Amino acid sequence: MDPARRLGPAQIDAVAQLGVSTVLLGGIYALIAVGLTLIFGIMRVVNFAHGEFLMLGMYLAFWSFTLWGVDPYFILFVAIPLFFMVGLVTYVLVMKGVITASHNVQIFTTFGLSILLQNVALVSWSGDFRFVRPWHLSVALRVGGTTFNLSQVVAFVISVVLTVALFAFMKFTHTGRVMRATAQDRDAATLMGIDTDRVYRLTFAIGIAAVGAAGVLVAPLYSVYPTAGLQFVLLSYVVVVLGGLGDMAGALIGSLIVAAVEVAGSYVFGIAWKEIFYFLLFILVLVFRPAGLFGQRGSETLGA
Amino acid sequence: MRHRAIPFVALIVALLASGTHAQSLSGEYKLGVLEPLTGPLAFEGKRHLEGLEIVRDMINERGGVMGKKLTFALADATDPTVAASEANRLITREGVKIIIGTFSSRLCGAASEVAARHNVIYWETSCVDPRFNKRGLKTVYRTEIDATGFGWYNVEFIAKHLAPRFNLKPNQIKIAFLSEDSSYGQGVTESARLRAKQEFGMQELAAEYYNWTTINDMTPIVLKLKQLNPDIVHHIGFGNDAVLFWRQSKEQNFLFKALVHAGATGYGGSDFGKALGNDANGVFALLEPGPGFRLEALKPEGQKIEREFREAVQKRTGSYPLGGHQLAGPGLWILKLVLDRAGTDDPDKFNAAVMSLDLPVGSSMNGWGVKFSETGQNANERVQHYMLQWQNSQLVTVWPEEFTTARAKWIPLGAWDQRK
Repeated sequence: MDPARRLGPAQIDAVAQLGVSTVLLGGIYALIAVGLTLIFGIMRVVNFAHGEFLMLGMYLAFWSFTLWGVDPYFILFVAIPLFFMVGLVTYVLVMKGVITASHNVQIFTTFGLSILLQNVALVSWSGDFRFVRPWHLSVALRVGGTTFNLSQVVAFVISVVLTVALFAFMKFTHTGRVMRATAQDRDAATLMGIDTDRVYRLTFAIGIAAVGAAGVLVAPLYSVYPTAGLQFVLLSYVVVVLGGLGDMAGALIGSLIVAAVEVAGSYVFGIAWKEIFYFLLFILVLVFRPAGLFGQRGSETLGA
Repeated sequence: MRHRAIPFVALIVALLASGTHAQSLSGEYKLGVLEPLTGPLAFEGKRHLEGLEIVRDMINERGGVMGKKLTFALADATDPTVAASEANRLITREGVKIIIGTFSSRLCGAASEVAARHNVIYWETSCVDPRFNKRGLKTVYRTEIDATGFGWYNVEFIAKHLAPRFNLKPNQIKIAFLSEDSSYGQGVTESARLRAKQEFGMQELAAEYYNWTTINDMTPIVLKLKQLNPDIVHHIGFGNDAVLFWRQSKEQNFLFKALVHAGATGYGGSDFGKALGNDANGVFALLEPGPGFRLEALKPEGQKIEREFREAVQKRTGSYPLGGHQLAGPGLWILKLVLDRAGTDDPDKFNAAVMSLDLPVGSSMNGWGVKFSETGQNANERVQHYMLQWQNSQLVTVWPEEFTTARAKWIPLGAWDQRK
């Protein structure tokens, strides 16, 4: 009775739709993961509060839409500089003090920040599920037997643009090169006259700006609530490890792989299996390619 | 002379009036209240607390409990571990003899275990884990039916109301089960599966579980179910998952005859209507009574207290009672009835009072009756439940028909754009 076993026109449509869903879902995951991989790769800090900045981005979209009727796509222009500032402030107030501390201290700090932000949101805005319903959410584009949700398509396109932009920034600009140098060896970079504190500040701010933008874009697709970030954050760690720490293109491809595993696994074996599959993949990658599928061998220990 | 008498008379009247309202309450009675007030379960926990506070005030306006003013000792149960330690604190530090709580099936097991160990009464208003009353704990009671009761009512509705309106016999119904994987979702789904199959011979096409906190795309399951072509989708959702399933079913043009849910979360929460507006039309959710509910169908004492409860909720929140209010508040009201009857919180005498309480359907808030089993569970058939349907952004009561003025529409559900 497994529907995947019967082949017919309906089946081919279903497979095509699964492909579409994979790409669109992968786009969302990539959007969330690029900021994380940047911070992870350059600062060597696992930001456990990443999901909470996503949640704050979602609330920004929700309140702007509810109070002033502003479409989330316009809010994006406000969100990016705003979250850049939030990133700077968070770095100065919280991260700067623990950047040279042990990983345990960093984990406790960012985890504490995560709990703090969740509860600030809970106290300020209550635990209700809230929804943003711009007009484009109910627009479904039909191509052949497949359906594309317009909001999801836009989120996907922006995530690709963002990833490519960050990739180019890291690869071709002087600041990008300085950031990569710091990632490779903090002490050597300092000896070469690089202000590593400035690099970290910038990295953290860019990472938070990216995830803030992601929050604004996913707000229409999911409900907005204080622990909304947890829905995606575990998965972004998988994506980041799959793609290789600090690798933008790897994050995009890792996202597509996770989405494919999730979508195909849910369809063929049942929806309860999806996490088993991608965490299995996660473990296999850690065992056989600890630097990630596309990462440079040994890069996981760089700068440690 | 007459003019000078007027203020005097008014003063006497005012004094009399205030005297009848605030009966003299001698002392306070402190009740332990355990609800999740922060963390992921807080959104419902706070609503429960609101329901408890509303009925606490009603109780104090009506003579308190055992002649004393009812007060709360609050505790925040964010997860099972905290629930247990906070129950402990309420008992040892606050000295409470009765704890009321905790809404979530994740919490009630751990908290009640602690209470029972201290020989303290644990009064559950909302958690529906079927295991709750099956652990041999002597001081544990529950006013709401358990998850198996929800499954029982859902299948009753499908077999007795929907099947005839589809011109199908119950054994011709093809049904797909989908559920979030909490003990609540599983309890409802498994009991519904069992009853659908054994009692009515319905054809089960699928039974799928998922974790609502990590589900980001329902398209794969929508596609899978679409190919199986069920008449009924029995979906227990929690929050975002319900909205996602419904929106993506529309995107994929997945057509079926009805969707049936149970409980105040997911499709049964007001958030679902807010998220989807009129696109929500047609969904069924088993709940406490909503708009359309006929007060006249209740017994006179039930009518009176239900009307007063609604007015109190309206005054505090500006809306009709929501699911959380309707579980917590009426549960507390039944506790008051028991305490007044027992006159003490001594567990043995309290137990005798619980067992002797026998109220038919329609006697209390929500049209509930009371008859506890030996295990401390209020009976399925006394705790009357109702099927509500989303109609133009409102959940209205549609079944059983003798209790309501509204009628179920869109049977079977037509094309997605025809449900206006």
